[in-house]
Amino acid sequence: MPPADAALVSVDVVRDVAQWIERMHSAPCLRPYAGTFVVLAANGAMSSSRIWHACDGQQQMERVESLSGTPRTIFRRNDEVRTFLPQARIVRADRREDAGLFPRVPVVSGTSIAQFYTARLLGQERVAGFVTDVVWFKPVDSLRFGYRLWSERETGLIVKLQTLGADGRVLEQAAFSELDLNASVRVEQLSRMMDATVGYKIVAPVVVKTSAHAEGWTLRQPVAGFVPVSCHRRSVSDAEDAPSVLQCLYSDGLASVSLFVEPFDAKRHPSKPQVSGMGATQLLAQHVQPDVWVTAVGEVPLQTLRLFVGQLERAR
Amino acid sequence: MTNDVNDREMLSALADGQLQGDAFEAALAYSAGDGEGHATLQLYHLVGDVLRSSDLARPANPAFMSRLRDQLAQEPLRSLPTQLQIPIHTEVVAPVRQEAANASVFRWKMVAGVASLAAVAAIGWTSLSSLQDGGAVGSQMAIAPVGAGSQAAPVVAVADADGQQVMIRDPRLDELLAAHKQFGSTSALQMPAGFLRNATFETPGR
Repeated sequence: MPPADAALVSVDVVRDVAQWIERMHSAPCLRPYAGTFVVLAANGAMSSSRIWHACDGQQQMERVESLSGTPRTIFRRNDEVRTFLPQARIVRADRREDAGLFPRVPVVSGTSIAQFYTARLLGQERVAGFVTDVVWFKPVDSLRFGYRLWSERETGLIVKLQTLGADGRVLEQAAFSELDLNASVRVEQLSRMMDATVGYKIVAPVVVKTSAHAEGWTLRQPVAGFVPVSCHRRSVSDAEDAPSVLQCLYSDGLASVSLFVEPFDAKRHPSKPQVSGMGATQLLAQHVQPDVWVTAVGEVPLQTLRLFVGQLERAR
Repeated sequence: MTNDVNDREMLSALADGQLQGDAFEAALAYSAGDGEGHATLQLYHLVGDVLRSSDLARPANPAFMSRLRDQLAQEPLRSLPTQLQIPIHTEVVAPVRQEAANASVFRWKMVAGVASLAAVAAIGWTSLSSLQDGGAVGSQMAIAPVGAGSQAAPVVAVADADGQQVMIRDPRLDELLAAHKQFGSTSALQMPAGFLRNATFETPGR
């Protein structure tokens, strides 16, 4: 827990990757904040949203209102997420079963970030009116992307984040264009709004927790640094009778990969592999067996997805 | 005297873009002459510029500017290249901190950074997709086939029989992408920046 006066020390503290991450992670709860957040992908796609964030002793709450694309407001209370779609009058209720559990530091157990990334302080820059430390997380191999982070000096809050390709190109950039680190946002206000679902139809997709092994799948060899996080069967479509899809998640602590496994359906799936890249997110879809179709999605290079798909096989 | 004050206030309002209709016409007429009105308006603009950025504290040399304009007017018009030819890469190097000796140069660097993003958009993408309802169609027009009224589904490259890559749009992948974005961000980075990134970026229509 970095003291607030760390920023008053003019000497640059040398921190390793884990220390930076811990600092960045504990930052959001130091102060309630509100701001405008912009995401820009290398292909020119741009999205923006308005953010409100607050914490109290038990709860971390966030409200994200889209300013581009379909109007929607996403609320998060610890691991509980509700997406309001005012045009359709629908609220989607989901649970994020991940590391956002407050106040535990969300390091995926079993990963060793320090083994696969090194941290380097590049200097100071101003972002959204705040002085920030610019930190470079450099990957040790070509199986993951690098990151440049702008961490607000006083709190450690990440105010800007770039995902970098192997050649150093910026694949995607996310940043606050404007930020108020002393906003009058309170957990109970946000909580009330999140619970104001009157007049909306609440849709809660069925999710069943499972494991790759229970589903009859295994990775022949683990992909360096990526550990299994969770597996769920979920219906990813809003259609009434949509078949459920198996989603298995792997992470190296910074980057994550989802493997979606489903029976091959000639009506829905092409016969040939598909690849796609959007900003930092890559996608690869292909057969693993004549009757099984797998789609790998992640903020990792395409070759990493190829490795994953290549290692997937039926468990004996 | 009061007239003077009124005139100046009028010019101040003009410089701030607050005038419309008759008042605008009158102020414009007053400032269009070679007299005090014109000089005062120039001064107000300079004051505004300096307030916005100290770099603008040196007004351009009017003689030079008019020569430049004349010269530009005589230049033959060249059609702009339709395709960017030269990709610009932003390399990740540990920046040697330049002590803001030259803020304007730094600003050009920023522009170059943005330009490289744009250049990447035009080059070197085997496949791409806009993430929102045609949100990035502008930048894609030249490169991605935009289906009429398509819900901006991901564009995927599919190898056809000859091994050629063909671009198609596949809305089915939207759902998987959204599921990954929503549930697949386990990293420490993802809190909050990653969650925000994904929430901000989430595919629509869900």
